[in-house]
Amino acid sequence: MAIENEIRRLRFENGEMTQQALAERVGVTRQTIIAIEQNKYAPSLEAAFKIADAFSVPLESVFRWKKS
Amino acid sequence: MSFREKSAWIAFITYTTVFGGYFFYLAQAWDDTYARGLTIGMTIGAVVVLVIVAVVLNVTLALFSPKEANAPADERETLIDLKAERISSYVQSAGVACLIGALLMGWNAILVAVLLQASLVIAELVKSGAQIIYFRRGA
Repeated sequence: MAIENEIRRLRFENGEMTQQALAERVGVTRQTIIAIEQNKYAPSLEAAFKIADAFSVPLESVFRWKKS
Repeated sequence: MSFREKSAWIAFITYTTVFGGYFFYLAQAWDDTYARGLTIGMTIGAVVVLVIVAVVLNVTLALFSPKEANAPADERETLIDLKAERISSYVQSAGVACLIGALLMGWNAILVAVLLQASLVIAELVKSGAQIIYFRRGA
């Protein structure tokens, strides 16, 4: 997938935030967070902004587009 | 495993078991003379069993995870549902098109009706199967 992310690292840096806690803040299931974190699913723009907001960082600090 | 993935498994297993049994026994008991009554009777029975089993299993599942059961589908689950539905619709359309051809060629109408049921069941299995695959490997 062309979209990569830093969610795992950001969770670690935010007091080892659990996937469930992040899922609840974003309003998706834990399985969806797992899929995003493993680059198996590219979230919607809204969910991407919510994830960035959960870590209090700009969007580009969480997601990056990898040219193929 | 998410609530909706478990629900897809329930649909897949329920349809396979109930309609697998239905088509197996229908094939064993098939008789052209009584085909209409046999098919109607067995169809009603299969649908009633399917509804009861599906409701019982889904209610049981919801009792074990009430929070997930009451939560609306998130964006990935909705996308998975739409993708699976699209694949299923191709299967269903192909089945219906083939059976229209069979009718035009003069096949027994009751047999075509049974094959139409099979087409609907296969489409439903493809849908739940596709959902499971998408849930497993990502949408």
